Amino acid sequence: MRISIAQDYRTVLIFMEVCLVKAKTNAVPHALGSRSGAEKNRLMKWLISIRKNWMVYTLILPGFLWYIIFAYGPIGGLTLAFKTYKASLGIWGSPWVGFENYVYVFRDPAFVASIVRTLQINLGRMLVTFPVPIILALLFNEIRSRKFKRITQTILTFPNFLSWVIISSVVITLLAYDGPVNHLIKSMSGAGFNFLGNEKVFIPLLYLTEIWKSSGWFTIIYLAAISGIDQDQYEAAEIDGASRAQSIFRITMPNIMPTIVIMLILTMGNLMTAGFDQIFNMSNAAVRQVSETLDMYIYRITFQAPPEFSFSMAIALLRSVVNMMLLLLADRGAKLMGGDGLLG
Amino acid sequence: MALKKRKIEWLDVVAILIVSFFAVCIVLPFYHVLIVSFTTQKEYLDTPFMLFPIAPTLKNYSTLFADGRILVGYRTTLQILLVGLPLNLLLTTSFAYGISRKGFPGRSVIFYMVLITMLFNGGIIPLYLLMKDMSLTNTLWSVILVYGVNTFYMIIMRNYFSSLPESLIESAKLDGSGEWHTLFTIILPISMPIMATITLFYAVDRWNEWYYSMIFIRKSSIQPLQLILRSIVIDSQVATHISTAGINLGDIQFTFGLKMAAIIVTMTPVMCVFPFLQKHFVKGVLVGAIKS
Repeated sequence: MRISIAQDYRTVLIFMEVCLVKAKTNAVPHALGSRSGAEKNRLMKWLISIRKNWMVYTLILPGFLWYIIFAYGPIGGLTLAFKTYKASLGIWGSPWVGFENYVYVFRDPAFVASIVRTLQINLGRMLVTFPVPIILALLFNEIRSRKFKRITQTILTFPNFLSWVIISSVVITLLAYDGPVNHLIKSMSGAGFNFLGNEKVFIPLLYLTEIWKSSGWFTIIYLAAISGIDQDQYEAAEIDGASRAQSIFRITMPNIMPTIVIMLILTMGNLMTAGFDQIFNMSNAAVRQVSETLDMYIYRITFQAPPEFSFSMAIALLRSVVNMMLLLLADRGAKLMGGDGLLG
Repeated sequence: MALKKRKIEWLDVVAILIVSFFAVCIVLPFYHVLIVSFTTQKEYLDTPFMLFPIAPTLKNYSTLFADGRILVGYRTTLQILLVGLPLNLLLTTSFAYGISRKGFPGRSVIFYMVLITMLFNGGIIPLYLLMKDMSLTNTLWSVILVYGVNTFYMIIMRNYFSSLPESLIESAKLDGSGEWHTLFTIILPISMPIMATITLFYAVDRWNEWYYSMIFIRKSSIQPLQLILRSIVIDSQVATHISTAGINLGDIQFTFGLKMAAIIVTMTPVMCVFPFLQKHFVKGVLVGAIKS
């Protein structure tokens, strides 16, 4: 593996060099008489510039090495998607098999079902949880007591800084069959309610806990956007006799639209992956039928059955590509609708 | 506009009611967890919903610590934090400062290479194989090294450094100060708000980390806190008796009080640093950076 890291490093260096050379040749003005001379000149300047800035490279080096080993190393491992993994041969020595892994994986009905389920859960998540922080931010903006605002904002943001392990622990103990919520239900209606092992309530429970955990945090982002709005607009509207509700829909909403669009694009880019931490910690065997999303499926075939690294890599690659396509698609859509989009 | 006193409209009432409802929904479960952690099993079974325990007890906590697993978790997480956090800060700060400097060849190429990793990554399997090949699985180094630079935090820092006046760095250069020296003696002292924010973010991330540990570490003697909590509360709840972390729970009965005590013990440190965290990001240091 150490050798392969070095290989990777070299590839990247070559890639960098190619990019630089390309940038240089593009920049050379063709009208100049002695082209090679100008090129030589530029090369010299370039080398001198590198030498002059050598200390900046020592600043970047530690972080850069980390990226090469722990971010680009695994990207190289994506080649496993087209190989059959043999532990004795390693990633680089394993034989190529082309698209065989994909042919095999698409034959597994559980895989196709997991994709459908992921899209269902996460599109539902977009519809149900995405608007909540926007509404909260608009409401926060109408509250005039600073003290009340500060205290409630602190409370609402806090759960976002706890892990899903902690949040699920709280939810599971509260909603357990012998837990406090069921005690209350039993004392009122006589029979308990099975929250945790119930396929019907599992997905609503996901949305509720998600709102509970992170809507306060996203509210802050929208509040920041609201605080950037020019106050003159509100004053002018008030003089013209606009009600506060009108101000919200005619001034605040249009002004925070770019932020909403950016958040929407980012959510779209996460459609295939969102919610693994949450679902992994909240689910149990009883709700397997509704909880096995794509990431849960990958986890299962990778670490629970006899490991199938090649298949799971094939799926992971597919997932990354789909995520990226969704992101670009959403970005394009936003631009077509006249927005700014994410990528310039 | 703020000067003019307006009469209370329905909108004010609705806003306060809804926001209060959210706040109560968040506080109540934590309050319940807190009081049950001070309640004996008997009292809890008699009155599962109480405002305050009649006979508060510390027995749950003493049993929890006597059991020792939670201490293993604390020790492991603190070790990861003590080594990992300085590593995060060193890698992130030097890289962010370096990339914020202008006019050196390769700057944009390196920056784009880093941005690509945000969109595209190999996922957990190649990472696991990488750790295995470097013989780091079942050691804390795997968890420490796998989380080196968070690209998002790095960009926030770079944006901040870029906003500093160039003349500051130039004058230091004229005095013969090297780049590293400038970073530590001139840049860092005036970047304290952003440094504090990023430090706390990394610390909370390290504290909450469980996924990599679950994959990389199978030894029960070096399980981090989150996984210990997971095995105490979640695994014992679903009654599979096979814990994901490979910890055998057969020898001790975890009562509700004990589980709640474990939850409190795990989240208290986050609760303690949260006000400081809040102070900084509400000031807009972070949010301004997110927007740009």
